[in-house]
Amino acid sequence: MSTDLVLDGLVRRFGGAAVLDGVDLTVPAGGVVALLGPSGTGKSTVLRLVAGLDTPDAGRVRAGGRDLTGLAPERRGTALVGQRPRLFPHLSVLDNVAFPLAVAGRRRRAARAEAAGHLDLVGLADLAGRRPATLSGGQEQRVALARALAAAPAVLLLDEPFSALDPGVREGMHRLLADLRGAVSPTVLLVTHDRQEAAAVADTVAVLLDGRIAQAAPAGELHTRPASLAVSRFLGGVNEVPGAVERGAHVSALGRLALPCASPDGPGVLVVRQEAVALTGPADGDATGTVTRVTPRGARWRVEVTTPAGPLSAETGPGRTPAPGDAVGLVLPPDQRWVVPQATG
Amino acid sequence: MTRAAPAWRRAAVAPRVALALAWLAVPLVPLLLWAAADRWPFPAVLPTDWGLTGWRQAAGQGAGGALGRSVLLGLAVAALATPAGAMAGRALALHRVPARRLVEALLLAPVAVPPFAVVMGLTTLTLRAGVPGTVALVLVLSVSALPYTVFVMRSAYAGYDVGFEEEARTLGAGPRAVLLRVHLPLAAPALATAAFLAFLVGWSDYVVTLVVGGGQLVTLPMLVGALSSATGNDAVVAAVSLTAVVPPLLLLAATALLARRGAR
Amino acid sequence: MPARGPRRALLLLLPAALPTAAVLGAALTVAVLQSTGLMPVVGEPDPTTATYRALAGDRALLDGLRVSLGVAAASTALALAVGLGMALLARTTRLGGRLLRAAAAATVPVPHLVGAAAVGLLLADSGLAARALGAESFPPLVAGPLWVAVVAEYAWKESAFVALVVLAALAAGERELDETAATLGAGPWQRLRRVALPMAAPAAVAAGGVTFAYVLGSYDVAWLLGRSYPEPLPVLAYRLWTDVDLARREQALAVAVVTTALALACLLVTAALLARTARTARAVR
Repeated sequence: MSTDLVLDGLVRRFGGAAVLDGVDLTVPAGGVVALLGPSGTGKSTVLRLVAGLDTPDAGRVRAGGRDLTGLAPERRGTALVGQRPRLFPHLSVLDNVAFPLAVAGRRRRAARAEAAGHLDLVGLADLAGRRPATLSGGQEQRVALARALAAAPAVLLLDEPFSALDPGVREGMHRLLADLRGAVSPTVLLVTHDRQEAAAVADTVAVLLDGRIAQAAPAGELHTRPASLAVSRFLGGVNEVPGAVERGAHVSALGRLALPCASPDGPGVLVVRQEAVALTGPADGDATGTVTRVTPRGARWRVEVTTPAGPLSAETGPGRTPAPGDAVGLVLPPDQRWVVPQATG
Repeated sequence: MTRAAPAWRRAAVAPRVALALAWLAVPLVPLLLWAAADRWPFPAVLPTDWGLTGWRQAAGQGAGGALGRSVLLGLAVAALATPAGAMAGRALALHRVPARRLVEALLLAPVAVPPFAVVMGLTTLTLRAGVPGTVALVLVLSVSALPYTVFVMRSAYAGYDVGFEEEARTLGAGPRAVLLRVHLPLAAPALATAAFLAFLVGWSDYVVTLVVGGGQLVTLPMLVGALSSATGNDAVVAAVSLTAVVPPLLLLAATALLARRGAR
Repeated sequence: MPARGPRRALLLLLPAALPTAAVLGAALTVAVLQSTGLMPVVGEPDPTTATYRALAGDRALLDGLRVSLGVAAASTALALAVGLGMALLARTTRLGGRLLRAAAAATVPVPHLVGAAAVGLLLADSGLAARALGAESFPPLVAGPLWVAVVAEYAWKESAFVALVVLAALAAGERELDETAATLGAGPWQRLRRVALPMAAPAAVAAGGVTFAYVLGSYDVAWLLGRSYPEPLPVLAYRLWTDVDLARREQALAVAVVTTALALACLLVTAALLARTARTARAVR
């Protein structure tokens, strides 16, 4: 039942300003793609365009080779679960899940029997007779998921469906989503602003910046090999060393640092995730400098060091942390070095 | 809406509540007494003979027919003003409306224009055009009811989440299914309130019916007016008046029940 | 669903806006045309202000104007005072509040004419009040010089309306603000004056304006409980309307035009007042 989803050059303007400025994205059949971006960048608009709740100013939406662009929402097979579960308050939990089956013309008894199956899939079979108002937030979202699955969608659209839930409940939902993939392998496009969630749930994470997909890649690759400074910064990367690439190495105020893979010669910014940077004695390391600030980050510490190439940061685990004023060395592991083009403008 | 008032303040509140309740209830007391009185000569504080003569006389005066006509008039006004008001209320709450202030002022205007003025102007026209009086009557009363239905529905739609309808669309429901299975059930309590208010406009009207019908169309208020402007009819007046009060009170209770069920 | 724009809005507005514009427009146009001789009952159109000049010279209109405005002002003032009092009282107790709300809601569906009949049975010189008080000479409240019964009926029904409107306005967040004010050291009086009343003011002003316009244009209560002279404007208009002399119809329509102008002016004043009080209420919020 699942098909691929292809977005082709989607443009959407609101009052002259292009919120989406040519979005290209492919979700393979049975795959999960997370659309990640700062709030207010039109992530939800992408889902509304796919679902047919909004009309693009340009571009096309295709699913399984079928062009959906001009179709009414109810004829697209793209069920949407939003941040609010929006269970119909006048229907029981079971009849909520049976809703898509009933509007598809199924007889009431058959619709309810099938709906009971979907409710079982999300582990809430015993709540069938309840009113939505009596459910907890997590239960509501489970019912909303079951209802969306009951529509047998070609593509399941999830618009920050877990962001209003408590952290523990949210992790349960992530597990449920993984289980559902095993059971019915839907094609899923998930919108989120939570990097952890994107990494936990999706095969591919697409970063939406300035109305375009800046990069789409598995979460790990996205962090260590960002396509641009903007992506690196959006994902929380803080270490940027301006310089240039010369014959397989990055040359900067830190000297000549060999690169793990070939980059074209010319100006470029070396980025290394602060989590990958290790601290060492002032005599060793790829760079040396003075600690200016140490801030706790949960169980870890962020250590900021002034170096000839500007401030660099490292995150250290629990244990001995340097104090401000200490001289330290920084190790930038060769396989973690990555060069992105200089920011334009 | 309650707060923990100190005991001495609560004690002071009770008599004031009783006073307010009395203010609202006292005018209806003579109606109840007279409706059960066969004889109640002047200085007596309570009726001397109890009985239902008033009701029998009311039936003889055509209260049954008047009741039927009043129900029909109320229903006709509700049937016209409720859907029109719901649509306009939805547009005002959920859509971009050009010249919004002007449109709102127009839809509120019937509150400001006295019904007797409207009906006198209009019948001058409809009489010449040969439009039946009942049509003019229902039209004028429906227009009078529109401000109430429009603004009840506007505030209902302002708190209404269109996301429910969008959700239903993505689940495969077409516009018709969305209307019948999602939109109308969710709007039902507000629709019931709006319809009730529109019904009351038709049910309570006196002057429009008087001008259009010239006394020919006898509704319950017309009967109350005719009977109570003459003297010595007190028991009948009370019986007909109660006939005009009880049905809308029952409707009110039903609407309140529906609203409570909708809220759950 | 994407079509939430102005075109669809106009389609949705049409069934309400079109009849309203047509009925009000046609009625008021006819009233103005006929009362200015441009659309006579018989004969050729002949523009004239004679009808209005005749009315202005006639004591009936001026007396009617005075009595209409007086009754409307007194009824509105009483309804506002009692209605506001009931609303502020209803929010302080749970059971009493519920009872008051229900009683006020039950008063709204009583037709004004029925209310008038009931008030007649209560306040007439042989009414229940006279019997209960056992007074030798009961003052003429019904059809008396002070229009007491008429004002009482309007004040009774409209106070319930005012109370419901004000309670609805206070329901939105007044309690939190009241509690916040209490934690900031405001006593019950200060909270009433600085929080509850400013928040209730816009609703009270709106309800007062609607009540005034309603009483001004309402026929039945004044007709049933009032004196035969002076006549309030609607009663005067209807008498002229039903006169055997058809020319009197033009005068009836002129009275209708005058009453409408007054009611409209009253609501414009209300709107202006509302804009001012709403600013204060927002400042409180």
